[in-house]
Amino acid sequence: CFSSSAAAHIGVGISGQEGIQAVLASDYSFSQFRFLQRLLLVHGRWSYLRMCRFLCYFFYKNFAFTMVHFWFGFFCGFSAQTVYDQYFITLYNIVYTSLPVLAMGLFDQDVPEQRSLEYPKLYEPGQLNLLFNKREFFICIAQGIYTSVVLFFIPYGVLSHATQSNGVPLADYQTFAVTTATALVIVVSVQIALDTGYWTAINHFFIWGSLGTYFTILFAMHSSILFNIFPKQFHFLGSAHNTLGQPVVWLTIALATVICIAPVLAFRFLKLDLKPQLSDTVRYTQLVLQKKQKPCGRVGRGVGGG
Amino acid sequence: MMASSYSAKEEDGHHSGPAGLGGAAIRNRKPDNTAFKQQRLPAWQPILTAGTVLPAFFIIGLIFIPIGVGLYVTSSNIRELEIDYTGTDLSSPCFTCSQSFSWNSSTPCRCVLFFSLDQPFESNVFMYYGLSNFYQNHRRYVKSRDDSQLNGDERSLKEPSKECEPYRTNENKPIAPCGAIANSMFNDTLDLFYIDPNGTKTQIPFIKKGIAWWTDKHVKFRNPGGSNLNLTAVFKDTAKPVNWHKAVYELDTDSENNGFINEDFIVWMRTAALPTFRKLYRIIQKKNNMTPTLPRGNYSLEVTYNYPVRSFEGRKRVIFSTISWMGGKNPFLGIAYMTVGSICFFLGVVLLFIHHKYGNRNNGSDIPS
Repeated sequence: CFSSSAAAHIGVGISGQEGIQAVLASDYSFSQFRFLQRLLLVHGRWSYLRMCRFLCYFFYKNFAFTMVHFWFGFFCGFSAQTVYDQYFITLYNIVYTSLPVLAMGLFDQDVPEQRSLEYPKLYEPGQLNLLFNKREFFICIAQGIYTSVVLFFIPYGVLSHATQSNGVPLADYQTFAVTTATALVIVVSVQIALDTGYWTAINHFFIWGSLGTYFTILFAMHSSILFNIFPKQFHFLGSAHNTLGQPVVWLTIALATVICIAPVLAFRFLKLDLKPQLSDTVRYTQLVLQKKQKPCGRVGRGVGGG
Repeated sequence: MMASSYSAKEEDGHHSGPAGLGGAAIRNRKPDNTAFKQQRLPAWQPILTAGTVLPAFFIIGLIFIPIGVGLYVTSSNIRELEIDYTGTDLSSPCFTCSQSFSWNSSTPCRCVLFFSLDQPFESNVFMYYGLSNFYQNHRRYVKSRDDSQLNGDERSLKEPSKECEPYRTNENKPIAPCGAIANSMFNDTLDLFYIDPNGTKTQIPFIKKGIAWWTDKHVKFRNPGGSNLNLTAVFKDTAKPVNWHKAVYELDTDSENNGFINEDFIVWMRTAALPTFRKLYRIIQKKNNMTPTLPRGNYSLEVTYNYPVRSFEGRKRVIFSTISWMGGKNPFLGIAYMTVGSICFFLGVVLLFIHHKYGNRNNGSDIPS
């Protein structure tokens, strides 16, 4: 009886008056059989969606971050010189990009729960392994590699001949590092903004907060206060102020962002327009319905219940 | 939050442990009915519709193309002249200097290059030296410096960091400044002369201050010994870098440009990101609004050829350039903006066409069951 739940992918046990042995051997347990419907169609489906989006984004942002060093290798004699500041490398995955994707993994919903129960066919992508398989994995990786190419070669093309408006060249290592790092953080933040389908207040806080934290920490670490305490550790003194005060650098970052994001946008729009999945159609109709109900809802709130 | 406030909801048939015992002893396992825990938080749910995506592409196209045109036009108006003076060809004036080189020679080799300007250079002219195939971005090279020593720390002056090896000590004396970056400092001297139509040579005055970052010059690089202006005394018991002709306290007679705060030294220590780079050497300031800074005519560049590049097949060049708000001559950015803007606009048109012809004009009522 309870060995079947141990052998299955997911074991679900029902705690009842005959004891809790099935519950102890299972991954999920609840008290009534009818809760199984919500477990599968709402929570199971959402969980599958969130995991797949989380995984794809995670591989993407790390490939975009790391492959830049591969391209830089061709220009630094393959000496394993990092493109970014050491502290940026440490903080990238922990501070700058972890919370937005975590929030997406916790809160994302493509359709609300009532629709999930109404259209059981929405459960099919999970059964058919459609949202994260070998093909989707390679698409995520390819997108990450493409982003890394853009993030290296656009600053390379611009900064190798650029100078500041006071004549000092911009081709130094620290300016290149700050430009590439800033472009990277902005591009992956825009990407998570595109991936997030359900923007709660927490998502807003995490996404904008992570960007704000990046700039705060950047300016703090490149300030003279930290330099005077640890000169050898914080030797990027003045880079942030110098680099991010140049219009050329911001133009470079904007250009890199558009080149990275525009194909993604076009591709996703075409997919939605030409071959919408059931979840896309349900989501669209749901939002159209909500928009239509909004002016009536304000009037009718006092009258009938929900 | 007391659990007993929720225990009355028996319509779900919820059994919580021993049935029948009411009151505060029953632990209610029902999750809180809050928006957060029931995943009902108010949220914005964006959708990629034609009404948002297509205008976005057109707007990006319409913004980027004029920016690109502006950048390209600004860049085209900048004057730049580049002269390679490595001297690898037999016909080059610097050929003999490039071939016969030894570290110990006390008489420097000189060569003169003649060039002419067809267009005058207006406003401030910036003079750069450029190197090719010089990997200032090699990992071992980049970390071969001691930032504490360069900041004027006395202890680091006497005991440089281990990262500086093998340029850390010389004949048992610590090297100041230590490291491979300092050791390979560029030490060619370049002088520019204007040759009058009747043959008289006038030297063009250079400004050698203001070429480094302000934070570098005033915060990062400090001479040891605080306000002691006698740098010879401050740097005694240290050795000069192996490949230098002069010691660090002999770099300039001006005490504000001597020692570690010498601006040429600071400019060199700011390592370049790529193997072909240029660094600011001197500034030629404009005289007044009437005469151009570098008028049309013939010029001669006198090079004191100290820096050997033949061993790594590098090249040396001197660059004269004017500056605008976006910096020097940089057509890449203008061309890239125009290209990306056009592609975005074109993509917008293509998407509009596809959406019109094949798009799913879903009005919300036809969901397949």
